[in-house]
Amino acid sequence: MSDKYAVIGKSQIKVDGPAKVTGSAKYTFDMILPNMLYGKILRSPHPHAKILKMDTSRAEKMIGVKAVLTGKDTLGRKNGVWRRFPELCDEEILCREKVRYIGDPVAAIAAVDEETAEAALDLIDVEYEPLPAVFDPLEGMKEGAPQLHEHAERNINVTRRIEWGDVSEAFEKCDVILEDQFHTSSQAHLCMETHGAVADFGFDGKLTVWTSTQSNYYIQVLLSTMLGLREGDVRVVKPPSGGGFGSKFELDSAQFCAALLSQKLRRPVKIILTREEEFTATKRKTPMSYYVKVGAKKDGTFLAKEVRVVTEGGAYTAMGATALTLTGFYSCMPYKWPNYRYDGYRVYTNTAPTSALRGFGAPQAYFAGESMIDVLAAEIKMDPLEIRRKNAITPNYEVPGQAYIQSCGLKECYEAIEKHIQKRGKLPPNRGIGIGNYAFMSGGIFNWFNTPYAFSAATVKINIDGKVDLFTGACDTGQGSDTTLAMICAEELGVHLDDIRVHAEDTDLGPADLGSWGSRETLMNGNAVKMAAADAKRQLLEFAYAKMKPNVVYDLDIKDHKIYMVDRPERSISYFDIVQDTIRAKEGQTVIGRGHYTPHRKGMVSPAWGFGVQAVEVEVDPETGKVKLIEIVTAHDCGQVINPVGVIGQVEGATMLAAGGAFCEEQPMDNGKILNPSIGDYKVLRSLDMPKTVGIEVDTYEPEGPFGAKEAGEGLTSPTGGAMANAVYNAVGVRIKDQPITPEKVLNALKEKEKGRKKK
Amino acid sequence: MINDFEYDAPKTLKEALSLLDKYREDYKIIAGGQSLLIMMRQGLIKPEHLIDIKGISELNYVKFDSNKGLRMGALTTHSTLEKSPVIKKSFGVIAEMEKRLASIQTRNWGSIGGNLCHGDPAGDLAPVLIALNATLTVASIHGERNMLVEGFFLDYFETALEYGDLLTEIQVPTIPSNTGTAYTKFNVIESDMATVGVGVSITLAPKEGHCKDVRIVLANAAPKPMRAKQAEELLRGKKITDPLLKEAGEIASTETEPISDIHASAEYRKELVKVLVKQLSKEAHLRAKQA
Amino acid sequence: MRKELKFTVNGQPYELYVKPKTLLVDVLRNELGLTGTKKGCESSSCGVCTIILNGMAVKSCSILALQAEGAEITTVEGLAKGDQLHPLQKAFLDYGAYQCGFCTPGMLASAKAFLDENPKPTEEEIKEAIDGNVCRCTGYNSIIRAMTAVVNGDYKEAK
Repeated sequence: MSDKYAVIGKSQIKVDGPAKVTGSAKYTFDMILPNMLYGKILRSPHPHAKILKMDTSRAEKMIGVKAVLTGKDTLGRKNGVWRRFPELCDEEILCREKVRYIGDPVAAIAAVDEETAEAALDLIDVEYEPLPAVFDPLEGMKEGAPQLHEHAERNINVTRRIEWGDVSEAFEKCDVILEDQFHTSSQAHLCMETHGAVADFGFDGKLTVWTSTQSNYYIQVLLSTMLGLREGDVRVVKPPSGGGFGSKFELDSAQFCAALLSQKLRRPVKIILTREEEFTATKRKTPMSYYVKVGAKKDGTFLAKEVRVVTEGGAYTAMGATALTLTGFYSCMPYKWPNYRYDGYRVYTNTAPTSALRGFGAPQAYFAGESMIDVLAAEIKMDPLEIRRKNAITPNYEVPGQAYIQSCGLKECYEAIEKHIQKRGKLPPNRGIGIGNYAFMSGGIFNWFNTPYAFSAATVKINIDGKVDLFTGACDTGQGSDTTLAMICAEELGVHLDDIRVHAEDTDLGPADLGSWGSRETLMNGNAVKMAAADAKRQLLEFAYAKMKPNVVYDLDIKDHKIYMVDRPERSISYFDIVQDTIRAKEGQTVIGRGHYTPHRKGMVSPAWGFGVQAVEVEVDPETGKVKLIEIVTAHDCGQVINPVGVIGQVEGATMLAAGGAFCEEQPMDNGKILNPSIGDYKVLRSLDMPKTVGIEVDTYEPEGPFGAKEAGEGLTSPTGGAMANAVYNAVGVRIKDQPITPEKVLNALKEKEKGRKKK
Repeated sequence: MINDFEYDAPKTLKEALSLLDKYREDYKIIAGGQSLLIMMRQGLIKPEHLIDIKGISELNYVKFDSNKGLRMGALTTHSTLEKSPVIKKSFGVIAEMEKRLASIQTRNWGSIGGNLCHGDPAGDLAPVLIALNATLTVASIHGERNMLVEGFFLDYFETALEYGDLLTEIQVPTIPSNTGTAYTKFNVIESDMATVGVGVSITLAPKEGHCKDVRIVLANAAPKPMRAKQAEELLRGKKITDPLLKEAGEIASTETEPISDIHASAEYRKELVKVLVKQLSKEAHLRAKQA
Repeated sequence: MRKELKFTVNGQPYELYVKPKTLLVDVLRNELGLTGTKKGCESSSCGVCTIILNGMAVKSCSILALQAEGAEITTVEGLAKGDQLHPLQKAFLDYGAYQCGFCTPGMLASAKAFLDENPKPTEEEIKEAIDGNVCRCTGYNSIIRAMTAVVNGDYKEAK
């Protein structure tokens, strides 16, 4: 057996590919059930108001309308993902007495068709008493500011402190101290398939929901709580899903309202959010304001970093508490800071709730952090790559009290980028290359959801013909987890990829998995799948040993449908034969292997870390401030690459999303109203805007990961903002500290610089 | 959601005009619908009668002869202009502009007449036509009238069309010799609408080489496509130099009344006008010399 | 009042009665059951609804169904010949030129319409061909590579 691996490490056509390229994949968007109704949601036009009166009678009388429900028709419970902390479960979804942002749902209609449901919305009479509203978190924290939630004084939703060493003392010892402020704006996920659900509550009292989601387990649990059902009586199925990016692992208004309406009517109800609702009434990226202070020795050794962050929380907690925690953690990465302190404040505001978007607080942290490092490098007159390399995390490093890092390929990443920059040589005027680097978690170790289940689990079933059923809870929203996990299973079990059929969408069938967020699936679910496959394999090998009767010193393994002696690979027997033998010997039972994974003793953040260094090259037009992206080169360490074509897709996709956030995507608001809720007004990169992207995979092996693999997909969004800010500075000498880096900001900065120069 | 409406699909111009006369004020005309349908889907426009003129083949043509110049039927699609050999050869700036207009899909179905009648000051077609001194024909049951494209625009999304009118043809005179025309728009995303757009046409005096005639047209710098007449005045009759072009840009900028919106502030738009007028005039000048 | 609509979709002639306000995308999805083509916005901006009409890539959400009278339409369901995938589909699979797949049917329609008319495009022209189609997952470059491979003749049409 010559190649190290038979399946992984080689590009495979993804298992869902044929359905997707032929248009035969059926999304939630496409689902139609017999007797199905269509739902629409009425939403608050006010950023902050009391609901005084609601009269739904006119809507109810409209022909074709079957039900109109309001907050009074719910159990009055509050939803939240941070279930360990009840006060953070603060969202009714269907509001009863108060609305807290423009778009907060107040009623839901089910009708015979979409048009009728929409027309009926106008017939619901709501009397509001508008209340003073607050939109800026700093305003929200002031004494006397309008208060969104009773329990949150001065609207402070969550605070976080992360600290080690003594920064005050350490700053005394620094040769150089710098401080500055940065800001990152909101961003919309812009999944091509909007949020949606088809809910079918049967007369047997059991609910099935088909929905575009990143975690069918979370939706199962959250829906059961909100509707007062037993978890097991709620079945959540995830059809092929048109994107998630962090927007689809919380219970949303489409899911809740569809389920509520179906429960009332005992008929299937379908609710698909419009693109406008998607922009205005679903969760969005957390805007953050940063204060950063760094101190170093004049030889470039980092000594102390102090960070204070205030985030615009929006009306509810959502996953914003996690973003607040993670950004504080990423702010110290990927360097060795002997002294560090982070204070984070998440503040409620009367705007659409802010939550998780691919990167989950890292893009924001690295925009501020990586910009600051370049400023520090310039102050010390040190090369920006050198100062990073000097202080970078190395393998087997412990972030004091926080995380234990095993594999780390940063050194190789710096080398690769250094080579690239050298090859670029001297750049023409108004061009610059900026670097940014990152460390990113490979599966968040958080259980504030308070599940008793293992973080990931999988079951492998081998059938009489050798075909394998793989049951997991991992949700593929396009990132390719179905294929990655099938490849891990095939590799471990010694079969081919097309022997595996993945069942990953149904809470009734698969074991629970916390979901596809926080870069969990490759490492966490991968480990569970590997363990399950190994368990099934062990059962086969028992019978193979009996058949082959090798000397006890020899090991057996399976590769390419052959069960062979590892040290004497020429001696082998057929996998298919042994499968038949095994099943017969087990009284006709299929071979079942079980696996699971929950990280232990790895710190509080992640069991493993992905790393990368990115070089962004830009050209700036000094007359208009327009920034053109020329090339983005990323050297990254994701451990063992499972599916190369999949990783390339993740690098390029993450880059596009990050680049958008860095220089054109934002959600300007006026008194809490998002002003650009349409594609077109919301600027998103298209094919002509996408620069050349190059991904360089750095080879490492992560002991904690399946076959040494780590995440590749989310961390890659982290470095682009900072790298771009650095590139613009290197090109034309201005530093933009407020993301997105728009042409207008660049031009204004250039003019300020020119004014300053003239004064001298 | 789109409202219910009465629908007619006339196949001839005559049929269309009599329908417009019949419905008086109670109608909307749809050609490609690339602008109209968005507004109807969002419930912003709810016509009683929709008159679908997309099928009037007699209004779909591109003709050129050296006497009459270029004549384009109002229902000609953007794609047709983009690919037309005669336009690429003799009115290249139109094909260039079309290449960057919206998306291929929009260009395949949207009509040039519909684009003009939408009256969007950010539209790309109007500045190019105005720079080329184009005219258009509006027909009604009572007859025809001609006007400069420049005079067709009255205000934001408001044109000189009255009820009963149908835009039928756009005429572009043969481009005089020693003339160069160029158009560009500024945006962050390549296919976006113009933050501002600039179209410039410069005609040089053949022997002396100075600027004999010039038209500078701006998109999205005012409630309608506008000519920067003071900037033109500066250039007319003079030898074109870089400092003069810079000054022209600055003057053009003072003539504008752009809005501030989520995409750009009025001040930034004025800055862009300064730069683009300077750059585009230079390009047009270069093309005029090569012509 | 409904009006008659006759057209051909994926080689199959149809005779329907539709309300004038019906959009082409809704007729394709709801009347003909061709749910491959999706809808992604209300402002005619995203391109996921792209289909091929008389050889042209157009956005089916921005065309009244009745305007397709007499037209020949190809949707993603019409690309494969029986069980033989179209070269573009094969290339998309090999190059991972899709992830969530929601934009893919529209993307394929734009790609096919373009390459049918321009069999030897430049790289810039290939990028322009799909500029009207928003993709949030791939970053477009894998799609460009897949289309380039087809242009280079790496994939043969099925007979």
